[in-house]
Parts: sequence; structure tokens; C-alpha cells
Amino acid sequence: MNEYLKIFLSSMLIDNVVLIQFLALCPFIGMTTDVQKANGMGIATSFVMVLSTVVTYPLYNFILLPLGLEFLQTLTFILVIASLVQLVEFYLKKSAPALYSSMGVYLALITTNCAILAVTLNCISKSYSFTESIVYSLGTAGGFLLSMILMAGIRDRIRLAKIPAFVKGTPVLFIAAGLLSMAFAGFAGLIK
Amino acid sequence: MTIILYTLAVSAGLALLLGFLLGFFKKIFFVETDETVAKVRECLPGANCGGCGYPGCDGFAQAVAKGEAPATGCTAGGRETAEKVGKVLGVSANVVETVAVLACQGSKAHAVPKGFYSGVQTCRAAKLSTNSIKMCAWACQGLGDCVAVCQFDALHMGDDSLPHVDEEKCTGCGMCIKECPQNLLVHFNKIDKGAFARCNNRNPNKPQILKGCKVGCIKCGKCEKACQVDAIHLVNGIPVVDYAKCNSCGDCVAACPTNVLYLR
Repeated sequence: MNEYLKIFLSSMLIDNVVLIQFLALCPFIGMTTDVQKANGMGIATSFVMVLSTVVTYPLYNFILLPLGLEFLQTLTFILVIASLVQLVEFYLKKSAPALYSSMGVYLALITTNCAILAVTLNCISKSYSFTESIVYSLGTAGGFLLSMILMAGIRDRIRLAKIPAFVKGTPVLFIAAGLLSMAFAGFAGLIK
Repeated sequence: MTIILYTLAVSAGLALLLGFLLGFFKKIFFVETDETVAKVRECLPGANCGGCGYPGCDGFAQAVAKGEAPATGCTAGGRETAEKVGKVLGVSANVVETVAVLACQGSKAHAVPKGFYSGVQTCRAAKLSTNSIKMCAWACQGLGDCVAVCQFDALHMGDDSLPHVDEEKCTGCGMCIKECPQNLLVHFNKIDKGAFARCNNRNPNKPQILKGCKVGCIKCGKCEKACQVDAIHLVNGIPVVDYAKCNSCGDCVAACPTNVLYLR
């Protein structure tokens, strides 16, 4: 199988960022109240994920690695990602107000999202090349978007279902998320 | 030692660089925002209840600044907010404060259920699938759609399975009024005093009404006759009070055989 397709599929389904790695649970629970919101959040996160991979890869390989400062990766990555998102927000506000009004609210929430940091750090720890990193971040973003929309759909059903009082609200969401996660564990044998 | 210096240099350098870049770009991409929007927004309660018909308080503030919405548009904020917004815009605001009032007494004890309803637990679904889960087709379904939309904690489901309005907290935003599939909640002007009919049954058949609810309006017209100031009239089968004329004497309340009317 093609190497890139392998990375893409495994990051999207087998190592799904939310359901298998249990990262970014806050937007997963908080922003899935309706499908539209989940979609907006998912797309904004995907955008930032790819963008931050593009920026942090050269930062690590051309500045931190030659100077022997690998241990600084978490600090510098957070710094760079946060200011990058801020920059994108300024830019969108000025030049694409329509896009800003649909995505802008979510951008501020993403600045220090753990999924974003995890993607950039994983790219380094798996010693991917630049193209592989991009494919990996695209796959993770796709997986995030997928799980957000799945959860939003489930919540639509939960809203109308009769739920026992002791699990009403967030607890039942976590039960649903657990079942979803078990379903995703079935993808484990997809790629040999 | 060098590694510490490198660490310091890289992190400080990066932070400085990014800080300057951000400051620089903030100047370049500066967007002029309308000052009135921010000023109007400050006056609003910020509950984003949507009672004004705009998407949240920000949407309303923008509409006010553009001149699309009136200064009195924020029903939730009431007079105080309207005056503040009016001050920002330089216009005078004249508002009547209202509260939501339930026009039904079909509690567990009074209204007979049609059967056992175990479908989707919202009033709208119950109304759609069964027309009414009680014998009276106009009755409060008692599943709390209005309680769910209230942003001000002013509505609570009572033990009698009817929603109770906390009139201290109710701002008259009208969200529950829009939500109720039976149109049982109505705006009531806070300054008005007089009799109010707690029934919305339009059925002209008296035995049928009484079969479904012991406290339904049976269209007998005794309240009309009892009123000495001609303030109460049956309109489409329901007593409607003209609060300009009503003097809260209580004659109609005493005359009503099914206890539909009460003084407020």
C-alpha cells in the first residue's frame, strides 16, 4: 500500500485523535451540541493543525535540532502555535470577514488545544519527513472532524431519548463516547 | 553552560520576535469597529436569550447600531436596559415591562390524561404525535419545553406538572411564549391589575370540557354578567379582560363556577 495513504488512514481511523488517543475531549464534549457547530470547530481545528505542522517542522529541524535544544519543543511549539493562530485571526478579520464570522469564534478556542500540540509533537517523535508530517496532520484533522460530527449526530438522538436521571447530561455523553471509541478500536487491524 | 545560554537565547528570541510580529500585524490588520456597537453591547444583559429575534446580544447590538432594531428591542433587559441603550443612541425609550403568565390550570389533579404517554419527552413532540396528551386538546402538556428555553431561571416545573413563573426573575423576553406549542403562555403587562382567565379551551361543548378538566372555562358567560364596569367579555369562548376598565372588584372571580378567573 502507498506509504502516504497508510499514514493518512492510520492517523484518521486507527489512531483517531479523540476516540483512541483521548485528546481534545473538551471540544469533543463542549462543541458538539449541534452538527453545524461541530463542523465549524472541526474545520477550524483541521486548518490550524495543518498550519502548525507546517511551521513547527522547520522550527524543530533547523533551529532546535542543530542547537541540541530538543527539550524545548513543547515550550516553543505552544508559543509558535498560539501566536500563529492569533495572526491568522487578525488576518481573517481584516481580509475575510465572512470566513471570520463562521470560523473566528472557534479559532480563539483552538490556540492551546492539546490535539494540535499532540500532532506537532507526534510528527517529531515518529521522525516523519515534511510531506509525511503534512499527510499525518491532514489525517488526524480528518479523524477529528469525523468524530466531532459523529458525536454531534449521536447527541441529536440522545436529546430525544429517555435517559435515566442518574446519567443525564454529560455522563451519558461519555458513555456514548466510550461505545464510539470501542467501535473505532475495530479499525485496529485495518493496516498490516 | 552554553546549553543554558542557548535555551535562554532561543526562547527569549522567539518570544520577542513573535511578540513584535503580533504587535506589528495588529496595526496592519487593524479593523475599525463601530463604537456604538460596543457601547450598546455593554448595556445589554448578555444572556444571549434571543428574545429580540437576533442571534444573541452581539447581533442585537449590531442591529441597533445599524438602525434596524429599536432601542427598546431588548425585552429581557426591560426598561433599565432600554433607557441605557436609548442614552447611547440619543433617543428616548418608552417600554412596558411584561411577564409571562400561564393560561392553563390543567395540573395532574385537574386535567384527565388521555392515556400513558411514553414518547419523546418534549411538549412539541407530544403535541405533534397525540395532539394533546390530556383529554383537553388545549391543555398544558407539562413536559417543560418552556422551562428548557428559559435563560433566566424564571420557570420551574411544579409538583402539579405545570410550569410556574417566578415573576421576580421573569424578564418577559418571550422565549417560552414562542416555544409553547399550545400558545398557553402570554405576555402580561406588569402595570396591569385585574382578573385573568387561566384557560385556553375553545371547545363550546360544556360536558366535553368538564370530562377533560374540572377547572376549564365552560363558556357560561356569568363573568360577563357579573362585571359592573363592562370590562370582561367572552372572545372566541375565553373571557378577555380590558385592564383599562377592570377595577379588581372580584365579582367575576366569585361568579365563575369553575374557578377559571383569578385576580392579579
